[in-house]
Amino acid sequence: MAMVENVSSSRRSFLTKIWIGLGVVALLQFFTGAVTYFGSGRKQAEKKPVTLLQAGIITDFPPGSVTPIAKGHLYLNCLDDGSFLAISRKCTHLGCAVPWIEERKQFECPCHASVFDITGAVLKSPAPRALDLYTVSFEKNMVMINTSNPIKRTSFTHDQLVYAPKPS
Amino acid sequence: MSRNLLLHFRPQQISAAALRFTLTWGLGGMAALMIVQQLVTGLLLDIFYHPLPVQAYESVQHIQSTIFLGRLVRNLHHWIGHVLIVVVLLHLLRVFLSGAFYSSRRANWLVGLGLAALVLLANFSGYLLPWDQLSYWAVTIATSMLSYIPLIGIPCQELIRGGTDVGAATLQLFYFIHTSFVPATLFFLMTYHFWFVRKAGGVLISGNKTTDKQEKRNLVPVVPNLLVRELSFAAIVTSVIVIFSMRFDAPLGAMANPHLTPESVKAPWYFLGAQELLLHAPPLVAVFFLPLFIGSFLILLPFVKTVEDKTHPLLKTLVLIGFGFLLILTITGIWFRGPGMRLMWPW
Repeated sequence: MAMVENVSSSRRSFLTKIWIGLGVVALLQFFTGAVTYFGSGRKQAEKKPVTLLQAGIITDFPPGSVTPIAKGHLYLNCLDDGSFLAISRKCTHLGCAVPWIEERKQFECPCHASVFDITGAVLKSPAPRALDLYTVSFEKNMVMINTSNPIKRTSFTHDQLVYAPKPS
Repeated sequence: MSRNLLLHFRPQQISAAALRFTLTWGLGGMAALMIVQQLVTGLLLDIFYHPLPVQAYESVQHIQSTIFLGRLVRNLHHWIGHVLIVVVLLHLLRVFLSGAFYSSRRANWLVGLGLAALVLLANFSGYLLPWDQLSYWAVTIATSMLSYIPLIGIPCQELIRGGTDVGAATLQLFYFIHTSFVPATLFFLMTYHFWFVRKAGGVLISGNKTTDKQEKRNLVPVVPNLLVRELSFAAIVTSVIVIFSMRFDAPLGAMANPHLTPESVKAPWYFLGAQELLLHAPPLVAVFFLPLFIGSFLILLPFVKTVEDKTHPLLKTLVLIGFGFLLILTITGIWFRGPGMRLMWPW
């Protein structure tokens, strides 16, 4: 008798386990389905093809100038030696837009007072790293900026500078 | 039928000792009242609101300037939203201090934590909806804090924003959370919360034991004893809020401009503690480990072994110190930070 009871109870517990297992699988399916549903709708806005922004003619940007390019949320800076640097306007601390202060020749964040120099390097924290960079290229005499993916960097190095081709 | 349903939430008789105001300070009831008020004012606002950039801002302006009593309805929704967070936090602290989260109340403590999280979520998602400079940049700053979490931080941030920046996709998501997800979940959890209180035998009667024992046995009918007290308290709270909202307008700045961050912009005030900490502590501690620690502490709290379901005095002191510390950080963040986060006097 005891044997029979054991057999039936183990069968019952086996079936219970299967039910629980199936329930967990169903829950996981629902969960992944819901997340994918949500994610697939959101990703579309995010994925952009490579967009080259035509900033202007090279000679429009004299050495030592900082030009806000509103369309790309960035600045095109021409340093004193004539090299170019396209930097993001988004503060690396908490994402505020940093304005260029002409009198002091630096970027000053209005939110938490981080300060960056013309190359985007941090002069004053709390910003943890230099402003993001965009790739600059030249087409004939036009300055082109790839606005699709900002490049993260910790600090400014000279190899980030881009020089315009000598006019031929 | 309806009488039987009501019995799930309220008994016919309660002990006279449970009527004492200082047992609960009316905080839970006040939170419930305010949630209902938010539902009503929220529905009224929703009739005229458009969850799209530019149109959102214009519709809020429309509500404020042309709709009959529109400004008052928005003021009420705004101020109640802020007060509700304070009330919920005080309710949490009160329940903790009276030790009403052991044995039969353990499940309800967890439900309550869920409700508190939902109230925070409701306020934060509502923050963006007016689409003015303040809301745009406050949400930008608050969601930027996520990027300090290792590995999952940036994907989470982009999922919430629906892109790299706060924009139309963010507004759509926040509108959904604010007007569909939160109300539905909140209502569901609230019914549980009330039912659990009833199941645990009403509010925990603590305090002076000898006099209370007599009072405990002394049962009085809920109608009118409790009902009259609750209704009069609700009337007082409502009048104070209505008078306040008639006097003080909810802020509405210039329309959101992603190109220009205004001077002295801050995260929503309940995140200012974390933001203040972000200036002094490593980012990982301020925005990740500390919230994680506070969250798991609150969840695990009712499972700590105790003698006779009494909270250890040392634990009480530690929690009060922690609470005070967060309070100081938050107050500094709200009133003592001027443009560029410089320390300054609030006057």
